[in-house]
Amino acid sequence: MGFLPSLNIFSSSEEDKRAAEVRTGAVAPTRAERQKCWAARDAYFACLDANGIVDALKDGKKAAATCGGESAGFENDCAAQWVTYFKKWRVQDIQKKARLKELEAQGANKMDVQTDFTTRR
Amino acid sequence: MPQPAAAARAAFSAFARTAQRQCTRSLSTTARSIPTKRPTTMGTARFQSQPYQPTGQRRFFKTVDEAKSRYRSGPFSWKAGLLFVITAAGLVWYFENEKVRMQRKRIAESTKGVGRPKVGGPFELIDQDGNKFTDADLKGRYSLVYFGFTHCPDICPEELDKMARMFDLVEEKRPGVLTPVFVTCDPARDGPKELKEYLNEFHPKFIGLTGTYEQIKAMCKAYRVYFSTPTHVKPGQDYLVDHSIYFYLMDPEGDFVEALGRQHSPDQAAKIILDHVKDWKGPLKRS
Repeated sequence: MGFLPSLNIFSSSEEDKRAAEVRTGAVAPTRAERQKCWAARDAYFACLDANGIVDALKDGKKAAATCGGESAGFENDCAAQWVTYFKKWRVQDIQKKARLKELEAQGANKMDVQTDFTTRR
Repeated sequence: MPQPAAAARAAFSAFARTAQRQCTRSLSTTARSIPTKRPTTMGTARFQSQPYQPTGQRRFFKTVDEAKSRYRSGPFSWKAGLLFVITAAGLVWYFENEKVRMQRKRIAESTKGVGRPKVGGPFELIDQDGNKFTDADLKGRYSLVYFGFTHCPDICPEELDKMARMFDLVEEKRPGVLTPVFVTCDPARDGPKELKEYLNEFHPKFIGLTGTYEQIKAMCKAYRVYFSTPTHVKPGQDYLVDHSIYFYLMDPEGDFVEALGRQHSPDQAAKIILDHVKDWKGPLKRS
């Protein structure tokens, strides 16, 4: 009887160790780990969108207060470097989209360039 | 030419002035044979004969008109029309096809020759199994070269998935014609073991290349790839590498053909590659 729980404890501590390694960037994440991170990122960004926060790095206090849960999930599932990268990327992307909208309103032609994370099929 | 023609014209008008019936008859025969070459003679004949033959006029006219109309509409039958349309369609198709082919050729050759920016060149790296891998291993096949790093947050994994689909699409049509290559821009962290684990999740046939920092730097320089590893990185500290995100299509002689970017879907990219492969006249390795 005592075998199974001990195995569980062992495997979960392995998982924790691996997750910690991913967070610090000691290992490159696998496909599954990337998917998990992207899902956490999307959830966090959705929360920021809903609360009208553009820069999660500058408005850190407001972001932590309103999207604390999502933020914790995001930081837990992604490498710390990725968290910063994605936050910066989001600011740039929002600015880019706003600028594009502005240009389109002025009658500029749209080029076929992809800026978001969705993969083309 | 001038002598018999003049004689014929003289005889012609002489006939027209005198006898009617024989005249019309003989004219009608001449009208069929001569006028195919000399329609002007017919015109004069008709003009000259007009005042003299009020009765035979109608018939005469009819015959000449008939002859003239045959002469005029002769080549324009429905068969000729059909032939014309088919030929025109064929020519349009051919020239359109040639235009597209020439455009591809221009793209492919714009990087060859003297005074052109040279992309690619000799290199010596190691693959994910730790074996030596040089530019010679890519000769004889087209190759698709992509630069990235295993810790890449978003773009590289997506692009590698795309590359896998592209490669499968090309492989379906022309097996063994393309070598997919991934070169790391982060040799400090991406050794053969890391590359092997990383690339296995994308495609078992991907070749991962790494080396010393100097070797990778030379490789990136040869391929005009921009990459920047942050300076003063402490051991064990995480960082991201900024790098160019193009697929480099190289021909079987190791010359750069075309860069495929994020704007191309896997299907579009596979089509571009297959079209270039189709244009290739040189030798290709059989797999």
